[in-house]
This record gives sequence, structure tokens and C-alpha cells, in this order.
Amino acid sequence: MRSLLAILAAKAAFRINRLTGTGGTSLPGMVAQKIDKDILKKLVKNNFPRGVIVVTGTNGKTTTTKLIADVLESNGISYVYNRTGSNMERGLITSVALESNITGRVSADVGLFEVDEAYMPKVCRAIQPNVILVSNLFRDQLDRFGELDKIARSFRSLIEELEATQLVLNADDPLVASLGYELESEKKVTYFGVGDYSGPKLEHDRTADSIFDPFTQEKLYYTQHYFSHLGKYRGKGGAFRRPKPDYQANNLRQKGIESIQFNINRSDDLVELKIPGIFNVYNAMGAFSAVKASLNLEDDQITKAIAGSTAAFGRSEVLNYFGREALILLIKNPTGLNQIIQTYLLSENDRLLVFIINDSYADGRDISWLWDSALEDLAHYKGKILVGGSRADDMALRLKYAGKKDVLAETNEAELLKLITKHTSKRSKLFILPTYTAMLSIRSQIVAGDELQKEYWQ
Amino acid sequence: MKPIKIVHLYPERMSIYGDYGNIIALRQRMNWRGIENIVENIEVGSKIPNDADLIFIGGGQDKGQVIVSEDLASKADQIKQFVESGGALLAVCGGYQLLGEYFISNDYGRLKGIGLFNIVSKATSSRMIGNIVVQSDIFGKLVGFENHSGSTEYVGRAQPLGSVIKGFGNNPTDKQEGIIYKNAIGTYLHGSFLPKNPKVCDWLIGKAIAKSGQSIKLKPLSDLLEKRARSSSISRP
Repeated sequence: MRSLLAILAAKAAFRINRLTGTGGTSLPGMVAQKIDKDILKKLVKNNFPRGVIVVTGTNGKTTTTKLIADVLESNGISYVYNRTGSNMERGLITSVALESNITGRVSADVGLFEVDEAYMPKVCRAIQPNVILVSNLFRDQLDRFGELDKIARSFRSLIEELEATQLVLNADDPLVASLGYELESEKKVTYFGVGDYSGPKLEHDRTADSIFDPFTQEKLYYTQHYFSHLGKYRGKGGAFRRPKPDYQANNLRQKGIESIQFNINRSDDLVELKIPGIFNVYNAMGAFSAVKASLNLEDDQITKAIAGSTAAFGRSEVLNYFGREALILLIKNPTGLNQIIQTYLLSENDRLLVFIINDSYADGRDISWLWDSALEDLAHYKGKILVGGSRADDMALRLKYAGKKDVLAETNEAELLKLITKHTSKRSKLFILPTYTAMLSIRSQIVAGDELQKEYWQ
Repeated sequence: MKPIKIVHLYPERMSIYGDYGNIIALRQRMNWRGIENIVENIEVGSKIPNDADLIFIGGGQDKGQVIVSEDLASKADQIKQFVESGGALLAVCGGYQLLGEYFISNDYGRLKGIGLFNIVSKATSSRMIGNIVVQSDIFGKLVGFENHSGSTEYVGRAQPLGSVIKGFGNNPTDKQEGIIYKNAIGTYLHGSFLPKNPKVCDWLIGKAIAKSGQSIKLKPLSDLLEKRARSSSISRP
């Protein structure tokens, strides 16, 4: 009875949200949870006959989840997922409640959820996933998440608790890989990784945190180092070393900023991913491995769908702004920003480049991370640079110390958009690198501008 | 001219909160004035060079601090001697704590410090997080971001870096932040600290130059962007 009320309330709240145009995805979940605090557990239990997949980690959650969703879609497997990246408890409740009937039945095969690292224990205890995919652990909004070691420890005790859950882990991230080591509970672990990488690298990568053996604290020895602390490593004595991946991407070949090619294990079939960069290869391999671990699909049924997949909301998303092609690249932490510098900015270095740095709670209140990013690698960037957001002045200062002069700062969004128009011409291409709340805001401004323009021409 | 030598202590284990920004600021503000400088990274198990002019140590994860605390014991005399003889030093957050008497951590018990600063620190159950503004007699307003569960108190004689206008500082009650002892500064301020507080940065550079036995007058720099970033930091909640 209580859960029925909760579901109805969530649905009603969503409609009201829609009507008022607020569009928040956590409010309906919050309302439902107020009525029935166990609503998430009830909604997931007895549903999803083919399993529940959880995706977590610092970077790439939304992209990886979308890749898995596209694989399910193209193979005719029905699913429910938190599409908008609303990845805390309430966002999950909203996504399932909207798809369920009033008795709590959902007619979908698979539940697929990206989950915020800090909410993992709470959410997973409620939904008891069949598979947990951990993609990576990088330094991130330390004001919200705390230290990496603490997150890893919370994951570890959670994993021991969830007896029936399988793990899918990134073999190339020592801290993530160690989650599969020395477990007291019997558990199936699937590892994925990258076999080689010879693409562009950054000179000022300062983001390698987990370069120590998690069990002995001795420094790890790397035979290959891709970015941050990802690579091929082994500990002294060899008790802890990079596990051999069950699924490994080989022969990575980047094609401009358009795509990246690789093959899996010894297969001759090339996968051409439409989202470039080695970080997206990791996302694709995580998605591939999670599907292999949980569903009975052939390799090419998965890789075909992955190759056809396009970018997720605000992550390498192309938008039209009055005839200009704006590529929106969400930035949240130094490793993510570094990957964008490495993949995009170093190869197309004459475009207008716009950073928008906000410091709301969802962005992380602390902007110190800008100083850990490899912005010095932009020393030879040729395009004009604009900075916006509530911390525009901090970003301008950061770029000054990275050796970039003539950076224009504008905190007002409308004025920033005018500057963007002024410094570009029709058909020109530009990069916009916003933090989370800045992305939501600028994206809606650009989409609204695009629609206005379409109406005008009709 | 002999290059000014900055020693970055434990960059691999103690630089998690944007602490590289302090090294970047020190170097650039010397570069812009044509003052040659080099950075030497010193990790666990290596020795601090005798010709250091400035030592920097940042903050780390608790786990990293355990190992650093053990290693610091072997460097304690040298660091103290360095400061007594006029060396410039900046310690931020975890580094600040470990240069005090001791730090009692939540998960790893009591970590011994080197006793350079007259402070003791103890982890608390709540974190002190947020933008912080401090009024200092020497440097005027200082701005930054703090994020620590450690609560610090002075023991014996200590000169605070400043008094807290907004935020927490050393602990939730005293309204004091950081410490100055000779040419050494300890603080909880990230942000990064030195880029947005160029007066402190130049003060440290001046002391480091003196330590190197040279006499160079620091030319004033245009700090327009620094001023803007400071005032927008102060205006943030």
C-alpha cells in the first residue's frame, strides 16, 4: 500500500515537474522515498528477470551506461536506465518508478544504472545487482567524495557483503583491480584492459594517484603507462600485479577527433568507436565486458552496437549554435580534463576554446583541481580562449600561470554567448568545456537558440 | 647566478588537493622576473639536498601520511636545521599537520610529527570544508579553500598565520589559521594557495633568495588577474 502511494506520488511529481518546466529528475524519487523509505528495494526486487547491472567509477559512467544501453537496444533486450545521469539514490528511484505500473511491476528484462561512487553502498544494498562494473578511480571532487582509498575501502566491504554479485573491473587501474584480490567471498571477476597505446601523451600529467601497491604501499613498477595511473604494472615481489584481462583492446588507432579503432583479444574484427580517445576505449571495453559477464550475447552482437553508439548528453556532443558547430565536452576533474586536452585540443588546436567553470555543489565547490590539470600542455594552442562561469577569474588565472595570455573572462552567460558569436563565424567549429552545472545551462541556451533559429527560417 | 632550488617533498604521496599550483606559482613568479630556478622532487627514502632554498610539502591521503610520517623522522633534524638557518618553507594541510608534534588520525592512530611547528592535530568526525578568508598581519587578506577533518591547536608559543574571517581554519572554535615560524608557513589553505595569494608567494621567494646567499630585488608584477580571482573567491559562499 505504502509503495503504491510512493509510486503514484513519483509519477505525479514528474508530471508536475514537466508542466512547470523544471524537469528535475531527483524530485519524484525524493517524494517517493519520503512516503516509503524502502521504495528502491521494492521497485527493483522481483523485476528485471535478466539482471541488474550497476556502473560506477570516477569517469565515464554515463558514456559506459549509454554504450550498454545501446547494446541492449540493438539486441532487442528491454531495459530501464537512468538516462540523464541522475545517479544518486533518488535519481534511480525516479527512473524505475516512471517505468513501473502502480503495483510496482516493470516490464523490462534488464535494470541498468550508473551509480555515484558515494552512494554505492546504500544503493547496492537496496538493489542487490548481478553485476558491478568499476571503471576507474581518479581524484575527483574531494569535497564530496573524500579520498580514493576511502572509496575503495567502502567498495571492498560492500563487495564482500553482496554474495551473488559478479565484478567487472579495470585491470589497468591498480586500485580498481585490487578490488578483485584477496576477497574472502567466492566471486566471479571479469577484467578488462588495454594492451598497448602509442597515441599522443601529455607532458604535464600530474594525476597519477594509485601508483602504490594497495597491499604493501610499495611503489609499483610500470612497463607501460597510458595516462594517470592506468597502464601495465607490477608490485615488488609480484604478489600484486596487473591481472591478465579477460577482454583486452589491442592496436588502438585514433583517427583525428572523429573516432578510434581497436580490436578485442585476438579477433581480426576492428571496432571503430565514434567517440575518440583511449578513455572511451576503456568505456567501450567496460561495456563489452559487463554485457559478456551478464548476458548471453556473441562478441559481434556487442561490438556492432558499440560501433554504432554516439555520445551521451554533454559528453562529446555536437550542437549547432547559429551555424557554428559546438562540441560540448564535460569536465569534472583533472584526469577527465587531461584526456580531453590529449584527445581533442592537441589535434585541433586552432578552434575557439571556451572553458566554463562553476563551483556549485554538483560541480564540486573546490576548484583547486584546475591546478592539477595539464593546462601547460596548451602552451601552443593557437585558437582564442574564453573563460566563463562563476569561477571564470580563477580559470583565467590558471591559464596565465600555464603561459596563456589574452584569455577573455566573462562570468555572465549571456555576455559569454555574445563573445562566442563574435569570435567565430558561420560554419566554424569550437570547443566548449563546461563543468556539470555549466554544461546543463549552456546546453539549454544553445538548444533554445537553435530552435529559435529553426522557427525563424520556417 | 645559482638557480634557486625548490625541494618538493613527497609529490607522489602528498599532493592531492591542487598542491602543484603552489610549485607552479613559485616557479612562474621567478621565471617572469628572470630568476633561474629548479625543482627537485624528494620521495620516501631519498635525502633532501643540502643546497635547498625552499621546501614545499602538500596534503595527502591518510594512508600516504602514515608512510610519510615514518620517513619524515629521518629528515626531521635536517628540516629543522634548514628552517633555523633561514630556509623558506611552505606546508599545506597534511604537510602542515606532520610538521607539528603529532597527528592522531581516524584510521591509523597516532602519527608522529617532526615538531617544527608548535601544533598538535587530531582527526574529528566531521570535515571542515569550504571557501576560507583569513586576515593576516603580514600579508593582508588570504583566500583559499579548506578541506580537512584534522583539528589543530597550538601548544606553547605560536604565531598564527592569521585570524579567520570566513570558514574554519585550525579548528572549529579558535578562529585562528595556520602558523608562521621564522621563514616557515603552515596552513590549511588550498585553492591553490600561492597563485591567489601572491604576497605570500613573493615573500617565500624573497626568503629563498636570501637563503641562497644572493641579493636580488623582486620586481613588482602585474597582479591584475590575481586580484580578480581573489575578489571573486571572497564573494563565493
